[in-house]
Amino acid sequence: MATPVIMPRQGQSVESCIITKWYKKKGDPVAVGDLLFNYETDKAAFEEEAKVAGVLLEIFFPEGDDVPCLTNVCVIGAAGEDVSAFNPNATAQAPAQETLAASVEAAPQEEKPPEVAETQVATIKEGDFKISPRAKNLAAKQGVDSRKATPTGPNGRIIEQDIQKLIDSGALVTSAAREEYLTSDLTVEGTGVGGRVRTADLANAVPAAQATGQTQEVEEVKLSNIRKVIAKAMHNSLSTMAQLTLNTSFDATDVLSYREKVKAGMEKTGVGNITLNDMILFAVAKTLLMHRDLNAHFFDDKMLLFKNVNLGIAVDTPRGLMVPTLFGANLKSLNQLSSDAKALIDSCQKGTVSPDTLKGGTFTVTNLGALGIESFTPVINPPQTGILGVDTIEVKVKEVNGAYVYYKAMGLSLTFDHRAIDGAPAAKFLKDLVTNLENFSTLLAQ
Amino acid sequence: MGYDLIVIGGGPGGYLAAERAGHAGLKTLLIEKRFVGGVCLNEGCIPSKALLYSAKIFDYARFSEKYGVTCEGVKFDHSVAMARKNKVVKTLVSGVKGALKSSKVTVVEGEAMIQGRMEDGFHVVVDREVVVGTRLLIATGSMPIVPPIKGVPEGVKKGFVLTNREILDLDHVPAQLVVVGGGVIGLEMASYFNSVGSKVVIIEMLDHIAGATDKEIGTILMKNYQKKGVEFHLQSKVVEIKAKSVVYEKDGKKLEVPADKVLLSIGRRPVTQGFGLETIGVAVENGAIKSDQHGRTNVPGVYAAGDVNGVYMLAHTAYREAEVCVNHMLGKKDLMRYDAIPSVIYTNPEVAGVGETEETAKAKGIAFDCATLTMKYSGRYVAENEDGDGICKILVDKKRRNVIGIHMIGSYASEMILSAGMMVELELKVDDVKEFVFPHPTVCEVVREGIFQL
Repeated sequence: MATPVIMPRQGQSVESCIITKWYKKKGDPVAVGDLLFNYETDKAAFEEEAKVAGVLLEIFFPEGDDVPCLTNVCVIGAAGEDVSAFNPNATAQAPAQETLAASVEAAPQEEKPPEVAETQVATIKEGDFKISPRAKNLAAKQGVDSRKATPTGPNGRIIEQDIQKLIDSGALVTSAAREEYLTSDLTVEGTGVGGRVRTADLANAVPAAQATGQTQEVEEVKLSNIRKVIAKAMHNSLSTMAQLTLNTSFDATDVLSYREKVKAGMEKTGVGNITLNDMILFAVAKTLLMHRDLNAHFFDDKMLLFKNVNLGIAVDTPRGLMVPTLFGANLKSLNQLSSDAKALIDSCQKGTVSPDTLKGGTFTVTNLGALGIESFTPVINPPQTGILGVDTIEVKVKEVNGAYVYYKAMGLSLTFDHRAIDGAPAAKFLKDLVTNLENFSTLLAQ
Repeated sequence: MGYDLIVIGGGPGGYLAAERAGHAGLKTLLIEKRFVGGVCLNEGCIPSKALLYSAKIFDYARFSEKYGVTCEGVKFDHSVAMARKNKVVKTLVSGVKGALKSSKVTVVEGEAMIQGRMEDGFHVVVDREVVVGTRLLIATGSMPIVPPIKGVPEGVKKGFVLTNREILDLDHVPAQLVVVGGGVIGLEMASYFNSVGSKVVIIEMLDHIAGATDKEIGTILMKNYQKKGVEFHLQSKVVEIKAKSVVYEKDGKKLEVPADKVLLSIGRRPVTQGFGLETIGVAVENGAIKSDQHGRTNVPGVYAAGDVNGVYMLAHTAYREAEVCVNHMLGKKDLMRYDAIPSVIYTNPEVAGVGETEETAKAKGIAFDCATLTMKYSGRYVAENEDGDGICKILVDKKRRNVIGIHMIGSYASEMILSAGMMVELELKVDDVKEFVFPHPTVCEVVREGIFQL
């Protein structure tokens, strides 16, 4: 019996995933546990294994396609079986439409009169219309205004072919310019016949270096999904907030000696390898409880002040920056916090982190100290109101009783949103944090 | 008297702009100092075509033995050809006037003088009357370049040295005609006078004739005319015009060729002076009015179209520029493109081309493939041309595979070039053109043949 394989839903917030690699071809025999395909969300990558044995009868989506969760991706069964019933692309198919139509009709009847239900199905409201992820992608890629499409999908949904039709009917790109235009992210105004984009328009849109005739070897690299997400988030952060950064440092003597002590007694005490970063996370979580404006989310007309600290930890992974959340960091013992943080960082590095773990932070810590950075301006992850950058350890001099004393100092760079909190309270947070870190043993005792 | 648009110059750019503007409801005034229709209609494109057709028929009558036709006592009457030419011009000029009238354009025949820009618009004096327009379109065209060569002013005064204007009204066929400048105008006039009995000598400064025409095609054209008895002196510079001869320099040597008449056809320059352009501060660069892709000059409300902008100096370019200007005035989205302007030389055989030539493509660094075919690929061409040596060249962008230029020499080239222009303008790919159905048998099938070779 033919069995469809669906795109799994990875976390409640994930609507679609991109197929990044197929391990099997149509017609290949498949055993239980064989790898079928890789797929990824905005933030993590996964593998899908075969749960039934048979022949891979059909593949509905090629590599690179963005597939809505729970949609049939392929079909496994006995050779020769008909798979057309499983094809999610065949929207005209009767059974699928019937089911959808039925559910559409059934749902409103419970709450609203049927007339309202009908208009709901037939009308596309601007800014509130239904569009499939594939159609949305295609529209975005080709610079087509998807609102102009005539929806032919079930429930008034715009599907890929509607966008394609829109593109085809416009034919607003000359034959020669078409390929380059459609594969580029250029937005150019057509100056050809009837407003067609022509090759000269593409040439006008190239970067200045090329336009001036300088020869420069360039490799064009398509942005990964995660890069796109980071780009959008960073730009959004800097363009909407009033961010500024305060820099300070603390005497790291106490944290360094504590770390040595733990390290030396690891076998005896059963306490894990506690890093300096763990200690900073611990101190931040404790200190934030007294500075709730920084353990908060800021919105235009209100702030959400959190009772517990969900600490975002910036992690550099081969796929790009990820910020997993250490939920309830203020409730954890140092040892527990340390091992939980380690597990989170590991899952990010491997790309197996659950997307739901990548949200919900109330404050973030980012550490560039290992790379020798002395101070920097971290960028806040909205709607949070602050982010602490941890810098490298430097040897500093201070005057103690008329004598110069060398000590190891660790830098801290706090970026805060001035819309949410003023300079003095932010500086007070840093001051308290410095006190806690310089008296780490006392903090542990609290 | 207030107008929405005052057009100065009634040539192709001016009259078409006026016609379109009037049709769209703009209150339009057209001022022409000489003849409505301009150089093109009165002393250029049209009259030369009338004469060339007479010459062609004469040639057919004389050289048709190989087609099985023998005519005896074939005579050419230049005065009849001229009279017919004048009739053609008159018909077309009245046609233009009729079109202007039906578009409700006011036409004033007189000299315009721009007075300046006032609060209520641009003030222009014509026939001692001040007219006011909220917009101006400058379409004053161009005039032949008369070089400061010794003997030229005297020759012009005496009627020995002619420009396109005078030669088209010549009442006799000169025994010896020296053409200075082997561009389009020179070649067409050489073609006519060669056919009707003159000994024609062409003196050209460059190493090729026909200006920017594909060099290989230019060479074929030259050979055709050499066979017909036209003498060409390339890389030769005229240094003096004497009473009965032209002196030119070639390879450092001074040579002299006798002449009964001399045609001066070394080029044309935009007319930007003598009508008060400077009073409104319109920018002129290298002798031409500077305008943008919508035809706008640097002065708001002042547009320029046609030869006066110095870009292409072809009537059909002026037509399109005029439309772009008017569309911009009307707020319609439109802009001028120069990538697919066809050019035609109405010699026999005809030469036509559009888009990049091998020479221009190389100069621009465009990587291209080129198919060069003999016109004999066309059944009709073979059927109609004994010993025809026409060719067709198709240039295709190497990477994108779209047609970037088509050039040809052979019968009907002038009429075929529009379809080639569409391929270039629409940036059609080789595979797109393959889907077209070409009528059979026609000469244009050579294009289809070439496309399949690419």
